[in-house]
Amino acid sequence: MIRTLVALALMSLPAAAQDFSANSEAKSWNLYAEQPARFEAKVIDTLCDLTGECAADCGGGAHQLGLLRKADGVLVLPLKNGQPVFSGAANDLQPFCGKEVEVDGLMLVDADVGLNHVYQLQKIRVVGDADWTKANQWTKDWAAKNPDAAGDGPWFRRDPRINAMIVEKGYLGLGLDVDAAFIKELFP
Amino acid sequence: MTGLRNTLMGFFMAALSVGEGMLPAYAAQDGEKITVSGEFIDTWCYFSGVMGSQDAVVGSAHHTCAMWCSAGGIPVGILTEDGTVYMVLKVGEDATSNGSDNLLSMASDTVTADGTFYARDGINYIVVSKIVQNDGITRLNHEDLGVVPDFAIQNPNK
Repeated sequence: MIRTLVALALMSLPAAAQDFSANSEAKSWNLYAEQPARFEAKVIDTLCDLTGECAADCGGGAHQLGLLRKADGVLVLPLKNGQPVFSGAANDLQPFCGKEVEVDGLMLVDADVGLNHVYQLQKIRVVGDADWTKANQWTKDWAAKNPDAAGDGPWFRRDPRINAMIVEKGYLGLGLDVDAAFIKELFP
Repeated sequence: MTGLRNTLMGFFMAALSVGEGMLPAYAAQDGEKITVSGEFIDTWCYFSGVMGSQDAVVGSAHHTCAMWCSAGGIPVGILTEDGTVYMVLKVGEDATSNGSDNLLSMASDTVTADGTFYARDGINYIVVSKIVQNDGITRLNHEDLGVVPDFAIQNPNK
């Protein structure tokens, strides 16, 4: 009986050992723990899924969204989208709330520090669709929300909320006096 | 022997439940009441190593970047002294975790927070019910590291 159960348990574990790099076209970011990962998943609201506190439309863009992987039921948390500009992936996932999708990107895996199931999303499409959507929505959404912040330079130099905090507490967050002395030392 | 049999049976059933096309029927969890003390960090820089070691992407040295990432919608975490990171899903009545004003205002701060802890697939999550104490930025590592990334502050002389 026990031998049978052991054999059945081992036979039923292929998903746990799956390699999700097959057919991935993800671009390397030269991250020490990156592994290309292309898989199917359902886009879910993490707050709702974990706590039962559910809002319409996955929170309408306010919540962090997760990927419930089809192959093994693992909840993957995307931390980053495909843009190299300090931008998350929730805006890219929001239009796909509740949908079964296919994603491609980089999984961060480091068994030594217990790092697993966090993800950089590079592209996404509804399962069965031919066309991918690049995960580069964030700056478009930011520009639409901040028409008065138009100008040269990346968004994070022009963002009104960030600039207001720098004006109040400085780049170090320790107050303007500390900031001024540090900047003078940094750029004599 | 009965215990082993039950364990194996449970293992078998759990394994079966994750077979292809048979997603486990996860229900919302009850969570565990918890009080944590730690720093609000940007989780991408911390986990990815994109800007160097984990020591370099915390504290005052990384504060500007932490603001960029928080405003940019990268999940904010609370990093405790023992190295545990809790992904923040909600603070008080504010359920915004994508670019939240509230979280942005506390970037790099060391806080003590009451909340409810959830664990799922190797990731820790927290719903913060109350910030009990906010000590501001306590890790003054800019004195040793400068700023990370080094372009966080632009040269005013240029």
